[in-house]
Order: sequence, then C-alpha cells, then structure tokens
Amino acid sequence: MSDVETQSQELQSQESEKQAANDNEKLFRLPLSRIKSIMKSDPDVTLASQEAVITLAKATELFIHSLSKDAVISTLNSKRKTLQRKDLDSMLDTKDCYVFLEGTLDS
Amino acid sequence: MAERPEDLNLPNAVVTRIIKDAIPENVNISKEARLAISKAASVFVLYATSCSNNFAVKSKRKTINAQDVINAMEDMEFEQFMEPLKKCLEGTQN
Repeated sequence: MSDVETQSQELQSQESEKQAANDNEKLFRLPLSRIKSIMKSDPDVTLASQEAVITLAKATELFIHSLSKDAVISTLNSKRKTLQRKDLDSMLDTKDCYVFLEGTLDS
Repeated sequence: MAERPEDLNLPNAVVTRIIKDAIPENVNISKEARLAISKAASVFVLYATSCSNNFAVKSKRKTINAQDVINAMEDMEFEQFMEPLKKCLEGTQN
C-alpha cells in the first residue's frame, strides 16, 4: 500500500520537475563535482582539466539518452507502457557498445 | 573513501529527466529500470575515464583533457557522440 503512495508522490514530483526543467535548462546538467569524484576514484588518474570533466558530463548525458532510446524500443515492441529492467537487459545483450556494462548492473 | 557504488551514483532527478526526454511522453519508467540506467551511467563515466586516461598517458601528459575524452568515445564504440561533443567544446571555447 505504501508503494502506491510512493508512486503517486513520484508522479507529482516528476511533473513539477518537468516544469522546473523547462524553466531552467541548466538543471539538465549532471553535477560536475559528482563526475569528478567518479573520475578521481580511478587510481591511475592524476588530473583532469575542467573541460574534460564538462565533456565527460555531456557524454554521460548522451549515453543516458541513447540507452533510454534503445531500451524503449523493446518496451514498445512488447506493447507495454512502462520501460522495465528487462527492456534494458535485452538491449544490453544485443548491442556491442554496451558490452562494457556486462555484470555491473546486478546489485 | 567511498567503497559503496551508491556513493558514486548520479542524482536521480537529473537522470530521470534525461530518460524522460528520450522516451515517448506516454511511456513511464520503472524504479528498477531507472536505477539500472543510473548505475550504467556511473559505470560509463568510470570506463570513459580509464579510456581517456590512456590517451593522455600515450601523449605523455598527466592531465586528461577534453580531446582525450572525445577520442575515448571512438574507442568505446560511441562515435556518434564525437560530433556533438566537439561542437559543445567549440561553443565553450568561443
């Protein structure tokens, strides 16, 4: 029962987020500090320029966009209205460029 | 030191917004799918960082620059990202 409440809350916050996104495009950007933290977690990395962090943030946005677009094809083919985990999984198996994700998404 | 992968996750709100922009308006996204995409994005950053670093090291540099990131995309089979990233970079330089 609490799941239903959470879902309706999520829907409401999503709608208001959409409005906020239209008002301020900058909200679209992933936080550079978080990208930088992930980069720094690699022991081989010494330094990254600010431009590199910005470029990688943008690349990550493109990646999320691309991943979603590919996964939703499976959703639509199955005549569903909700993008589910299995849509992602089936697409990850199909496309070569996503092979680096193998085994990383199982928590 | 963050050992837990959640600490390196990207904020849900931004990830959700990008996903919603990519899919048709009447399609929703399950929580599990959203989390998986968010995690995938973090893994992408890690992998891209490693590839970018290789380019920097090859050029005998200790600092990863934007061009290293763009070159890494080609290595990772995301050539389609190179043009938009180059344009983005040119925009910030002018």
